[in-house]
Amino acid sequence: MDSISFNIKAGEVYGLLGPNGAGKTSTLEMLEGMNDIDGGSAIINGMDVSQNSYEVKKIIGVQLQANEYFDRLNLIELLILFGKLYSQEIDPITLLEGVNLAEKANAKPEELSGGQKQRFSIACALVNNPKVLFLDEPTTGLDPQAKRNLWQLIKDLNSDGMTIVLTTHNMEEAEYLCDRIAIMDQGKIVAEDTPQNLILKYAPEPPQAALHGNIEDVFLVLTGHELRD
Amino acid sequence: MFTSAQLHLAKVFLKIFLRNRQSIFFSMLFPLIFTGVFFFSGGPSDPIKLGLVNMSQSDIASQFSDLVIAEPSFKVTKGSLVELKEELILGDQTAIILIPEDFTFMEDSSQLSLILDASQVRQASSIQETLENSLLAIERDVRGIKPMFNLVVEDVQARPQRYIDFLLPGILAYMLMNLCIAGSGFNIVEYRRRGILKRLFVTPIQPKDFIVAIILSRMVIVLAQISVMLGLAIMLLDINVVGGLPSLYGMVILGTFIFLCIGFFLGSLAKTQEAIQPIVALTSFPQLILSGVFFPISSMHEFIQPIAHVLPLSVVVSGLRGITNDGMALLTLNSTTVGVGIWMAISFLVAIKYFVWKEVAN
Repeated sequence: MDSISFNIKAGEVYGLLGPNGAGKTSTLEMLEGMNDIDGGSAIINGMDVSQNSYEVKKIIGVQLQANEYFDRLNLIELLILFGKLYSQEIDPITLLEGVNLAEKANAKPEELSGGQKQRFSIACALVNNPKVLFLDEPTTGLDPQAKRNLWQLIKDLNSDGMTIVLTTHNMEEAEYLCDRIAIMDQGKIVAEDTPQNLILKYAPEPPQAALHGNIEDVFLVLTGHELRD
Repeated sequence: MFTSAQLHLAKVFLKIFLRNRQSIFFSMLFPLIFTGVFFFSGGPSDPIKLGLVNMSQSDIASQFSDLVIAEPSFKVTKGSLVELKEELILGDQTAIILIPEDFTFMEDSSQLSLILDASQVRQASSIQETLENSLLAIERDVRGIKPMFNLVVEDVQARPQRYIDFLLPGILAYMLMNLCIAGSGFNIVEYRRRGILKRLFVTPIQPKDFIVAIILSRMVIVLAQISVMLGLAIMLLDINVVGGLPSLYGMVILGTFIFLCIGFFLGSLAKTQEAIQPIVALTSFPQLILSGVFFPISSMHEFIQPIAHVLPLSVVVSGLRGITNDGMALLTLNSTTVGVGIWMAISFLVAIKYFVWKEVAN
């Protein structure tokens, strides 16, 4: 990382965009207390992450790119386990209902589809009812139905007051979800603003008026909006 | 003493182990095989198959011949030299005793021939002592004399003297080491590789919580495995734990703690599943040789003894052997218990200090 500086407001959805290797995940991991910060500081809810990483971890929820869990445990058991790691008693069924997975409560993570795994991963990140939720490429590899469903989930969580920080390669996702976006390249933030302002500043020419939707709209009309997994 | 997160995590690890039937099956197989081997190899050995050719017509020769046949450690077949030689070549006989024609004098030393097959000469050399002792007893009987001396071996503390009594504590400690290093070292590398540790450590738990949870769960598993082995040994091999089972279990718990912590350290040292195997072999194999599992450290070269005495497996073997054979109590303060204490502190500190939960770059 090279001298990056940014502020995220409470209740905001903040997106980190950039090509592979730009430093999005490293930035996220520094904020999560997972990577050492060798210069400067990161403050979350008034706490310095380097000095109070365990305190910070109590108020954040993290969804990682890799979704691996202990073998031979079902979703309920895993959620209870994650709750215990925050010293909290949780209601796993309510959490699973929140991510539309209640009917899979007794399944094991390896029995879930890609979209279900991502939703379960978010459920795990919500066990401590976090103030800030970090999502690392949450919709990568999902079909359009699962992606739109996850977008709705993120919108709902945000409308309940949760601050959300996400990384993505999907520009449409960033535009749709994020209140503000930071575009990173080679460890630096090269631009930061609302999607609308960024477009006005860097791509002011209006695109040709679309007479039709795009091919994803075709796909959804033909295959339906409802989730398939 | 333990946090609810530690206890719950320990319960989860135990649940994962109990749901893995294959792992339970194989973890119980070793104690069964070990005790089985000693149980079935402990009985009386088979009689030596001996061919007997009596070329002499004398009374003394036939008397000698009858006594050889009556000797319980021999299974004697009488016959002609040609027939018995064929059987010897085929391996049906171990040796042939040939009583020569001139076997008549009682006073002079008459010569007996022992015919062997060179391919079985190693087997024959191991039974030569039995053969000579039996012949000596027969000779004494024929000559009507009694032995002048009789050697009776007694231990100064009336301790058990069988090799199995010496071996069992060593094998228990070695089994403990392997179970523990596999339980912590191998698991931790796998959990790290799959990103499971990373997922755990985005929550507010600390390395010591994770280590304590694995130690608690493995302790239960190891104690169950050791109990099976010990139970079988006590029932089938007539093992007597002179110092009492509570002390023995106490030492097993301390040993489990040491070896699990060493396993964590090795698991943090190894970057991959391929690397952990040679690292564990490099740690455990020299200890198997040097820690007095099969023979006492005092029988080793003087140069190596000081090193051998301070190895973690050595202090645990010595502790278990002291309790099992010499009737020591767990809390007796001696060099062994001090060694165990020092290794507990060292291993726990290095396990926590060097604990790596992130993926390690190759």
